[in-house]
Amino acid sequence: MNEIILMSHILFGVLCMVAAVWLFVDVLHANAGNLARIRKLSWGAAAAMWLAFLVGGYFYVTAYKADKAIILAEKNKPWHFAHELVMETKEHLVIILLLLATYLPIVAANNLAASKDARKLMLWLTVTIAVLALVMDGEGALIAMGVKMGLLAK
Amino acid sequence: METNTVSKRSVSFGLSLAIASIVNAIIVCVKEKNETVMNGMKKLTGHHWITHTVIVLAVFALFGVIFSRMNGGQGRKITIGWLVRTVIGGVAVAGLIIVGFYLFAD
Repeated sequence: MNEIILMSHILFGVLCMVAAVWLFVDVLHANAGNLARIRKLSWGAAAAMWLAFLVGGYFYVTAYKADKAIILAEKNKPWHFAHELVMETKEHLVIILLLLATYLPIVAANNLAASKDARKLMLWLTVTIAVLALVMDGEGALIAMGVKMGLLAK
Repeated sequence: METNTVSKRSVSFGLSLAIASIVNAIIVCVKEKNETVMNGMKKLTGHHWITHTVIVLAVFALFGVIFSRMNGGQGRKITIGWLVRTVIGGVAVAGLIIVGFYLFAD
């Protein structure tokens, strides 16, 4: 079950990242014809992020303790940073990503075809979400590697 | 016709996002350095991270509503340049505080 939870956490996170990149391109070419798609996609990106957050949060609160013990095992010292730096920053940076994704539909509700200001805000927002989601993805990979190295060191 | 405006909700929740991000970073520093705070946060919801998340989301919602009700319901008035700088700057500063804290202070 934990494997399914973790994989769906990654899936929803990646979906949010892909949606942010798609939105960036769509907003660059915003017009009356793609406004509805931009708004729906913004809601989709926010929903994906919330799902990734809730699923990942559930795993973190209920099951991560075992992974943490493996990472922090004495024989796995070179990989202690996978928890002490990477996981610790990830669990708090992701809250910012959740806020950004929640803000996305609010900005997308503007008339992006007509407002240059709204497009500018939306472009900055989507870039920030995509970059932060990529950072989260990389941090997740490092944590998984920390667990793998801990198991190999046993 | 091209316009240069964003909705009051975009301004209000943008400013609120910057504040909530900084609050998020401040809570990280305080709870990691103060055991009483950490234990209190654990007691409130069963896990410090859940309490942390609830506080940050509450700050985001609360300030968003407060800012949108300012100026007799017209919301805060700032230029788009300031709004973008505040949102992105707030996120960047909060991110740097969190990473810097775990790199150097924890």
